[in-house]
Amino acid sequence: MTRADEATSPTPADQPAESRMSRAKTAIQRFGGNLAGMVMPNIGAFIAWGLITALFIPTGWWPNETLAQLVDPMIKFLLPVLIGYTGGKLVHDQRGAVVGAVATVGVAVGSDVPMFLGAMIVGPLGGWLIKLFDTKIGHRASSSFRMLVDNFSAGIIGGLLAVAGMLAIGPVVRTLTGWLGDGVQFLVDNALLPLASLIIEPAKVLFLNNAINHGVLSQLGVSESAQTGKSIYFLMETNPGPGLGILIACLLFGPRMMRASAPGAMIIHFFGGIHEIYFPYVLARPRLILAAIAGGASGVLTFFLFEAGTTATPAPGSIIALMAVTPKGGHLGVLAGVAVATLVSFLVASLLLGFGRAEKARELQEQVAAGGPVDDKR
Amino acid sequence: MSTLDASTIKKVIVACDAGMGSSVMLAGQLSSALAPYSVKVQHAPVNQIPDDADVVLCQQGLVARAKAVKPDKPVLGFTMFLGDPVFDKLQKAIRDGGDLEY
Repeated sequence: MTRADEATSPTPADQPAESRMSRAKTAIQRFGGNLAGMVMPNIGAFIAWGLITALFIPTGWWPNETLAQLVDPMIKFLLPVLIGYTGGKLVHDQRGAVVGAVATVGVAVGSDVPMFLGAMIVGPLGGWLIKLFDTKIGHRASSSFRMLVDNFSAGIIGGLLAVAGMLAIGPVVRTLTGWLGDGVQFLVDNALLPLASLIIEPAKVLFLNNAINHGVLSQLGVSESAQTGKSIYFLMETNPGPGLGILIACLLFGPRMMRASAPGAMIIHFFGGIHEIYFPYVLARPRLILAAIAGGASGVLTFFLFEAGTTATPAPGSIIALMAVTPKGGHLGVLAGVAVATLVSFLVASLLLGFGRAEKARELQEQVAAGGPVDDKR
Repeated sequence: MSTLDASTIKKVIVACDAGMGSSVMLAGQLSSALAPYSVKVQHAPVNQIPDDADVVLCQQGLVARAKAVKPDKPVLGFTMFLGDPVFDKLQKAIRDGGDLEY
């Protein structure tokens, strides 16, 4: 990977700052992409868990003791094992997946919190170890013993990792998760949670949206939701409000190129949940990031005041998905947060676009700069 | 700038971060536009671009990653998800044959 990086990027001596920045961005994106790559293929299972939780727990729509038994094993075993499986698969296909899944059971059993972070570590680790074995030792086995060697190497490495996971890796990850949780709890206790938008919104438009949401926020959310039935963390990145506000402002006051595509983008963003569609609008007018931050922070504050939350990750971040995973009685708070975020982000974005005046002046300037007569072109 | 003979394009890969959201949407739109020229359009996560891709399309912000994964593939970066001129350029090059700059 690094070799490819060096080959494609210009010599570091020429533009050290910029290339180091962009290389760091690429590295973070790739790391985050791998985290999200373990979670996102399994979102269907997360939603199944979220719906079952919302329906059958004592405070749900149809409380049912028998069916509520599904909730705990799904969050504690099914979901981490799926993540570990997918993590192993990313490294070394089906064999990596099997070892990753076995290793994940080691960290998941005996843990009182859902072991997502542990799964994200031991899953790929298991895949990597079996890959190492296959490329260094396994390929030397004669073809008549191949099946024996393949099955037992995977079994032994997986088994050892499960033991190591239970005795060593699990406790370490639990301690780390505890510290992370304490840090976040500090923000919550001091009502500082909206400040998180200062990081979340800029990271989003740099295409770190999946990394932030599935790599960080949903980890926190799942722990909380497993205990209390809902979590605000699921809403912090997935709130479609800030993006919608920016798109509305672009539709009314944006440059010509943005105005044309904004209505379609609004539908894809708000109902389809594909937030990527608004990132280019912000990247084209970087000061719009202030609108996203203001919208995101006021949305988080509103969620906080309403004690709003969802049971599972609304993915994709469509208003339909948000409503579907909101627990009984929580819809007003979620809708309020989305509405406030939309309004604030729209107002700030409109202000930043000078209510259209700035863009008209800019267009005129560009025409003059292009040398053409002002009125002829259109 | 290098060029690619557009008549050799048989498979276009649209890549995004997860390969599940925006790339699926774009691949759907492009595949109907390119179907008459028997060009296949598929979507993929940017970390897992398949080997048989002739051209890779992805958002500017992900171009560096696409190139790191597949240094030898032509990567076309677009800015906007809707109505970006790059899509027209690709379609036109495939329709008329000729060279495609990337």
